[in-house]
Amino acid sequence: MDESQPDQSGATTPDSYEAAVERLEEIIDRLDSGQAGLRETLDLCKEGKELVTYCAGELDEVGEGLKELRLDDLATKLDTASEVG
Amino acid sequence: MEESRLTPAPASSQGPNFPGPFAVGTYARKLQGWMRERARVQLIGEVTGVGRSKVQAYFELRDSEGAVPCAIWLNDLEKAGLDGGSLRDGAEVVISGGLDYYPGGGQASPNFCFRATHVRLAGEGDLIARLEALRKQMRAEGLFELQKQLHRPVLPKAIGVVTAERGAARRDLLAGLERRGWRGSLIWGFAPVQDRHAAPAIGRALQDLAARPEVEAIVVTRGGGSLADLWAFCDETLCRTVAMLRVPVVSAVGHERDSTLIDDVAAVACSTPTHAAEAAVPLDCLAARESLERCALSLRRAGEGAVETRSRHLGALARGPARALQRERGKLNQKIREIRAAAERGLTERVASQRRIGTLVLERARRRAAGADMEKRREALKRAAVALRAHEPERTLERGYALVEGDGGEPLTSAAETGAAERISLRFSDGRVSARPERRDDA
Repeated sequence: MDESQPDQSGATTPDSYEAAVERLEEIIDRLDSGQAGLRETLDLCKEGKELVTYCAGELDEVGEGLKELRLDDLATKLDTASEVG
Repeated sequence: MEESRLTPAPASSQGPNFPGPFAVGTYARKLQGWMRERARVQLIGEVTGVGRSKVQAYFELRDSEGAVPCAIWLNDLEKAGLDGGSLRDGAEVVISGGLDYYPGGGQASPNFCFRATHVRLAGEGDLIARLEALRKQMRAEGLFELQKQLHRPVLPKAIGVVTAERGAARRDLLAGLERRGWRGSLIWGFAPVQDRHAAPAIGRALQDLAARPEVEAIVVTRGGGSLADLWAFCDETLCRTVAMLRVPVVSAVGHERDSTLIDDVAAVACSTPTHAAEAAVPLDCLAARESLERCALSLRRAGEGAVETRSRHLGALARGPARALQRERGKLNQKIREIRAAAERGLTERVASQRRIGTLVLERARRRAAGADMEKRREALKRAAVALRAHEPERTLERGYALVEGDGGEPLTSAAETGAAERISLRFSDGRVSARPERRDDA
């Protein structure tokens, strides 16, 4: 069992959604195996919940409403901003 | 060109030691003749810069690697059936002819061109052959692999799209993204998708989208059409641009049977805009949400289950000593009962044994106390019994005597007592006889 203590800042943010899901699947597999001790199980559950929260946040970002932008408009805004600047 | 045909002017004493100098007009005519002797060939390429004079049309035929100035007499153009606007910029054509040179004159400028004697719009076969040549060349350069090595995020937050503003592909792509449950940011890079301006415009839009840091994938799409209609997507410059982009490009050009060069260089080639939506957002967001909920449930169960299971185990362990104590106490009680029973059984036996021993000892003591007098006493007793027996009234009666008894059974031992009695009883050895005294005879 890993007896190391989590750092003060808590879990690190995953690099990407797929990395988070991959780690989450590893955690579920480990928990399903029944080989994890109590401390490891609790640590994995904590990490897994953080990953679930992260993934839910990522899904929320692309689930709230489609935003349609035009490249021409963005270029115009950029030009205007640079002129003002 | 055979220099020996030219007649040299008087030799000069200055300059390099080349043949000549020759009169330029003579040289120009010789050059014209030499060019016209070159082989007649067919060329294929895109028409640009079309212009007309009174007698001929001129244009450049070009592809990504170079161009040749061309000219065709208008009557030849009419014979080819391409009068009017058919010979226009952006048209893919096949021209037949060869090199020509107009020497010019005193006032006219010389002009070099490929003199086309026939021209036709490129057919499917011509385009396919050209496409295959380009495909072979770009594959050999490894350009088909660059995009495929890029990482494609499963859940991009911003997607760039290059398509026609009013095309059906735009609508289909939106429908595909909606089915995916994806509602992030879409940046539209609208561009023409079917004329000679298409390829450069598409290329510019792609580069502009790829330059935006938030864009994680780009979709290039248009509806179906002939290979000529889709030819902009086989443009070599455009395809080289796509190959070098840092953002993965998903192409969905034409229908399933259509295959353009951009499909080869793109990270993913799809048959329809709907499929392009799935390729741009590999994650089905709706299914992912359900999966995430299942994961959360599994984690909760695992955490709670681990604590509960161990709590039960700990509880069982905590009850263990009491249970063991109870068990040992039971064993001890049993032992006590067994010991008590055994003790009681032993005591009884011991008492019985003691009694038997005591009886035996007493008997032995009694016998010792009785000693040798026992036989003598027994004999004396026998004798006393015999003597006693001899004195019993019955023995006397047996010898013939009778005993007189009163009414109460009291013996009457004198004549007075008998004479006074009303009634008497004479007792013999074999029974009694009642009698009444009549008189007394004194002795």
